Amino acid sequence: MLTNKSKSFWLLLLPALLALMAVLFIPLFIGGYYSLTDWNGNTVGVFLGFENYIKVFKDETFINSLIFTAKFSVVSIILINVVALSLAVLVTQKLGKWSTLFRTVFFMPNLIGGIILGFIWQFIFNKVFTSIADITGIAGFNDWLNTPQTGFWGLVILFVWQMCGYIMLIYISYLNSIPGEIIEAAEIDGASAIQKFFRVKLPMIMPAFTVTLFLTLSSAFKMYDQNLALTAGGPYNSTQMTAMNIYNEAFSMRNMGYAQAKAMIFLLIIVIISIIQISVTRRKESDA
Amino acid sequence: MKKKLLISSLVLMGAVGLTACSNSDSKKESSEKATVEVFNIKTETAEQMDNLVEKFEESHPDIDINMTTVGGGTDATAALQAKFSSGDEPAVFMLAGLSHAKAWSHTLYDLSDTNLTKKAIDGTLEGATYDGKVVGLPMNIEGYGWLVNKEIFEAAGVPIEKITSFADFKSAVETLDSKKDELGLKGVFGFSGGETWVTGQFSANFLAPEFNNSILETYSAEELKFEYADQMKENIDLAIKYNAKPLESMDYSTSVEEMFAGDKVAVIHQGNWIVPTLNSLDDTFAKEKLGIVPMYVESETEGKIVAGPAWYWCVNSNKSEKEIEASIEFINWMYTDEEAMTSIVDDFDFIPAYTNFSSDDIKDPLSKEIYRYLSDGKAVPWVHSSYPDGYGQNIIGVEIQSYAAENSTWEELSKKLIDTWNTERSK
Repeated sequence: MLTNKSKSFWLLLLPALLALMAVLFIPLFIGGYYSLTDWNGNTVGVFLGFENYIKVFKDETFINSLIFTAKFSVVSIILINVVALSLAVLVTQKLGKWSTLFRTVFFMPNLIGGIILGFIWQFIFNKVFTSIADITGIAGFNDWLNTPQTGFWGLVILFVWQMCGYIMLIYISYLNSIPGEIIEAAEIDGASAIQKFFRVKLPMIMPAFTVTLFLTLSSAFKMYDQNLALTAGGPYNSTQMTAMNIYNEAFSMRNMGYAQAKAMIFLLIIVIISIIQISVTRRKESDA
Repeated sequence: MKKKLLISSLVLMGAVGLTACSNSDSKKESSEKATVEVFNIKTETAEQMDNLVEKFEESHPDIDINMTTVGGGTDATAALQAKFSSGDEPAVFMLAGLSHAKAWSHTLYDLSDTNLTKKAIDGTLEGATYDGKVVGLPMNIEGYGWLVNKEIFEAAGVPIEKITSFADFKSAVETLDSKKDELGLKGVFGFSGGETWVTGQFSANFLAPEFNNSILETYSAEELKFEYADQMKENIDLAIKYNAKPLESMDYSTSVEEMFAGDKVAVIHQGNWIVPTLNSLDDTFAKEKLGIVPMYVESETEGKIVAGPAWYWCVNSNKSEKEIEASIEFINWMYTDEEAMTSIVDDFDFIPAYTNFSSDDIKDPLSKEIYRYLSDGKAVPWVHSSYPDGYGQNIIGVEIQSYAAENSTWEELSKKLIDTWNTERSK
């Protein structure tokens, strides 16, 4: 049934569809084809079938980078959301003008690009931390980016610092949209501040988690520039995330076809995790 | 109303953007002037290059040079690849050796008959001769090895002139270490193992002899035996032991700009490309303190450094006849015009790779010394540019980091190096 309404519907959708086709679907199909070949970036030699995909599962550095990325994502998603929610609760208190100031300050790291953030924190970990160690004599402040463990936490700290302002904004908007009478009713019933938060506010902002978890999850998994600027995967690739592993395979080792196969698998993993996350949080939303 | 305005202005902007793109394309074809897009990766001399281009444009009013400088050395090739993939191909670009030549072979213009090909110093074209054709012209000669602060060595009573074997070098390092505090050193070495390209370069000294010091043989070698593993281990062990900071985490700027230029370390692994940087920090350093100590690999008494052309100028064969001509003219001019020649030696601090320069022209002492090593046959070529792609950085660089952090043993490192080489080459 092609009514006038549906005609204009498709007409209005067309620009977006075309753009999506050009930058998403067509490259995806071309990429899918390249992942089956020994493409070196310029020319395709032979058609390999699924050989690249079989190789991926035997590639130790790729598996390690996946594990590292997964660990990083879990830790940073939890930390970002906890910190962001606490900040959001803090700045939605009646603080007068301070509230605006705090919001601005907390949001600011998000306005700085990942590469610059990486270099800022590199300076902090390498120079400031070392100076602190020299002055206080606490050796724990030395060489934060030189060991796999502290390198991991360095990345987490950087990422939490960058993301929590943005996530905070989303929580603020949901917190502000809670009807005042519900809070008032809880107060009249004699609920304490903690009770108000866990029993009233938290269930009311459940829909926010769908958005924030999706945003943090996808950006944690895809992270590249912060990783590059802060540790560049070092020492010995122990802090190399999957995106960087794929980039190096493609542009440094010039195994473009193979890197494309890795990227396809990575895409599949992200899609599956995102779908599970969205369906789970959606269900929670309707429960609440 | 406001919304409508916004949408229509967006549409308009899009349309303008589209036409602007197509306009500039057609302009390139039809205008009288030839525009040459040059992709430069030498960030150290970007400013000098811009000045040179200005001079060129003055004397060649019919040619426009569009210089893009991307670099820091490491990821420049990736940026070049991105340029090609996006269709925005430069007319003149730089490649590092035979592996690159192979990857770009379909787009490289045959430069065998150019004026500069005949002038190139013997052997400097080996890294850019692919399929029997000369596809690149050397930009300059660069050499590297253990760069030392001669003053510190002298102050400790171990002048570098007396170092004639690895044992001498080792004992000198030990002497320096024992006098560390009075010399104001943080460590003897400032090896930036955090930069995998440094370690990749470092390995060339030890892999070259196994392939008869030939770029071509390295490029076609299907098997790595790692014959000089012991010598490589000796050298890297020494650096790991006496490095100012854990070797695997030191970066370039700490190593060169902070430690070495600040007299905090006495030895780093770098090459003459750091001279402009040193000059900008302290204009007497390169003239008075900088020296080079070779590696003792094949023979215990004859040390060799690594020297040769690091980068080659290439011309894109997909461009129009006119642009190709202008490109070749530009490259030719840089190394034959008198004014440009002076600039190449004096401003760029380059060691020229062409016979129309005289060795007396070289002013920088380190460059002179490297040139001497080269003409005495005490230099091996830049074989690491002909390793399998990414091998120097992603395999050797990373494995050395792992070894330095005591995360793996030397045996594991050797095995990984050999295995990866053999599988990459059997493809």
